[in-house]
Amino acid sequence: MKIIENKYIKEKMYLEKLENGLTVMILPRENVMKKYIIWGVNFGSIDNEFILPGEIEAKKVPDGVAHFLEHKMFEQRSGINSLDTLSALGVNANAYTTNDHTAYLYEATDNFDKALDEFMDYVQNPYYTDENVEKEKGIIAQEINMYEDSSEWKSYLNAMKCMYKDSQVRIDIAGSVKSIKEITKETLYLCYDNFYTPSNMALVVCGDFEPERILEEIKKRIVKHENRELPKRIYPNEQEEIAQKEMIQDMKLSNPIFTIGYKDKVQEDMVKRHIAIQIICGILFGKSSKLYKELTEQNILIGALSNEYDYSKNYAFLIISGVSRNPEAVVKRVREEIENAKKEGLNEADFIRNKKNFYGNMVIEYNSVEETGRMFLTDYFKGISAFEYLDKYEEVTKEYAEKILNEVFVEEKRVTSIVK
Amino acid sequence: MKDNKKEIKKGITLHCIKANNFKTDMITVFLTTKLTREDVTKNAIIPMVLRKGSANLETEENLNKHLEEMYGAGFDCGIDKTGDNQVLKFYLESIDNKYLPSEEEILEECIQTLIDIVFDPKLQNGVFEKQYVDTAKEKLKIILEGKKDNKMQYANLRCQEEMYKDTPFGIYKYGYIEDIDKIDEINLYEQYKRIIDNCKIDIFVTGNIEEDKIIELFLKNEKLKKLNEREGEYNRKSKKLEKREEREIIENLDVTQGNLVLGLSVSEIDKKESYSAVIYNAIFGGTATSKMFKIVREEHSLAYTASSNYLRHKNSLFVRCGIEIENYEKTLNLIREQIADMEKGEFTKEDIENAKTSVISTIKMIPDEQDTIIAYFLGQELSENKMSLDEYEENVNKVTKEDIQEFAKKVSIDTIYFLRN
Repeated sequence: MKIIENKYIKEKMYLEKLENGLTVMILPRENVMKKYIIWGVNFGSIDNEFILPGEIEAKKVPDGVAHFLEHKMFEQRSGINSLDTLSALGVNANAYTTNDHTAYLYEATDNFDKALDEFMDYVQNPYYTDENVEKEKGIIAQEINMYEDSSEWKSYLNAMKCMYKDSQVRIDIAGSVKSIKEITKETLYLCYDNFYTPSNMALVVCGDFEPERILEEIKKRIVKHENRELPKRIYPNEQEEIAQKEMIQDMKLSNPIFTIGYKDKVQEDMVKRHIAIQIICGILFGKSSKLYKELTEQNILIGALSNEYDYSKNYAFLIISGVSRNPEAVVKRVREEIENAKKEGLNEADFIRNKKNFYGNMVIEYNSVEETGRMFLTDYFKGISAFEYLDKYEEVTKEYAEKILNEVFVEEKRVTSIVK
Repeated sequence: MKDNKKEIKKGITLHCIKANNFKTDMITVFLTTKLTREDVTKNAIIPMVLRKGSANLETEENLNKHLEEMYGAGFDCGIDKTGDNQVLKFYLESIDNKYLPSEEEILEECIQTLIDIVFDPKLQNGVFEKQYVDTAKEKLKIILEGKKDNKMQYANLRCQEEMYKDTPFGIYKYGYIEDIDKIDEINLYEQYKRIIDNCKIDIFVTGNIEEDKIIELFLKNEKLKKLNEREGEYNRKSKKLEKREEREIIENLDVTQGNLVLGLSVSEIDKKESYSAVIYNAIFGGTATSKMFKIVREEHSLAYTASSNYLRHKNSLFVRCGIEIENYEKTLNLIREQIADMEKGEFTKEDIENAKTSVISTIKMIPDEQDTIIAYFLGQELSENKMSLDEYEENVNKVTKEDIQEFAKKVSIDTIYFLRN
């Protein structure tokens, strides 16, 4: 196993690529009760069109299929749901789907190995029937309806729709009540068989583990089947321009929610870019910024402005969101601050302080085994290692941040979504 | 994991909990006071004013700069409701010295900063800064007006309010809009002084700490020395609900999904029965093997969320699910059947074992999160029934089927709340 060590947080990551192509990452942690495992597949909501190996024509599957598949993985031939089996062992099992991956996980205090039997068994053995697929539609429809009533989610999704014209990232991860009706057991098997192949998956464990031993335990439970050639995924050629400038939705809120989006594109060294963006957001909109002071003193802004930079192999965007009675005014002021910073450059003292702040925020992520595990999995699918954020933060200079400021915070690439 | 308690002064307790599995240290101050209709709104504003700046740091901007300087130490404050008490909480989380990129010591400074925020606010003419109070008042008004914005949260809140109407627990922790105008920098400061002088104060320090050093630091802290001894006015006992006819409340809002929340009351129980309660809840709606999850969600495909939780401080249960509006009667009947089945003992030995395993695993996970550790020990501090984690585990294991059925007999539906369009 390859060992990668991080001097700042004094943690090690043991990395191994198994013969069948599966990547295993082990992050041993002492003095913790919880043991955490997360197994992800590089198959998410954006993967709805692909050409199978040896075929010419592309297949299109209904929106929300990756998420539907996630729900149905727990189903077993024996009729006993794996979630039941795992819960009975006292472990917290769960799963989730994102734009670019699906993940299965559990955390345990006792019974980790017993749970590992069930866990690795169900992820490797799908069992879909017409009946169990039909039954899930009611449950997922309620999950979709729950998000329909969530103003935060709506604001986010509308911003995505403004930024992206063709890319699948604009689609709701769970699909729609209508699209999931079209899903059949055949659709699920098609996706499972072609994407759930070891070389397209990664597994992370974090907790009080002896690396060699846990690796053996994992290997023992791998079901041997040939590694398939992956389908060729079709992602529309997304334009660099945004799709539309703004979207406003009425949900009869007292306190409107807004999301500002900046459409970016994947470049070299996304880690450094990400760090710089975080620091810039801290300087311009963070809790010690002039803007925060001004907007909260007048109660134009309720709470803080939060920001998130998200990217995968074929999309990148920045989201800045918050709650305001006058979102238009906030957006205007955010723009002015950005333009001003571009003209005058970033303040040196602010830069140093926000860099320190960034460091602390990164370290906190390592407090819990869940956060750590999830972070390493997510970053793996982006083609990076989570440790890089700590290793590279020193390299980010004010000049570099200023360059990124000019590249990312571009008025033509900005969209606004407001839910009132 | 041990709560090393030290009474700094009567009514003011320092809790040091050493845990070396975190990258951060956490300092938390809890001010616990009786929840009353009269003071609730004022108390809710106090943290919003205090966070605007201490005497020393003066403004929120300075405070936040100072925190960023200390590698982004995270500060926040807020309001909680624990039983019939209102709890004002303030916390600061900082990177443990060991994980700083250079040799520095910041814990002491973090402790002092938090003490300054809570106990030494920025004043003007001997009262709160007027501008800070005015901003906080307006902010609270906005928060209160936004009560309906999050539909699921609103439904939970409304069920609680209806069930505990005219009792302290039915009071909204953020208070009421109609009280805000009467508040000014003078009467708010008076209320602050009253709380600081009389409330129960608990300070927690967790992380990779040297306990003796921390205790000494607090004992010799000048600002804490100025505080007086107190009885610590808070509600040890919480007002119990009498069994009564069930009530149905239906409210209309612009929603896609119907939110059904049931409040179940439980007649008087003893300490032993409180363990049965936890197992009852796990079997009924607390886990993925529970009746709510298996029957309402998996078998009938009625909901995505279908669960229950037991509120120890109030000895009551809340059942929730998000459903299609037309399925209201159907879902309600199914829930009624499950409640009746619990009383009839319609659950297996395996169900009990699963419930115990799940509850015990949750107990065992407590030491892995600092906020859970603190919440657990504060809960202990405020509750009449004290128990250690080992004791908890041991007693949970002793619960029998008969115990659960006995408990089930005491459970009855009090309030049915449905939020629909």
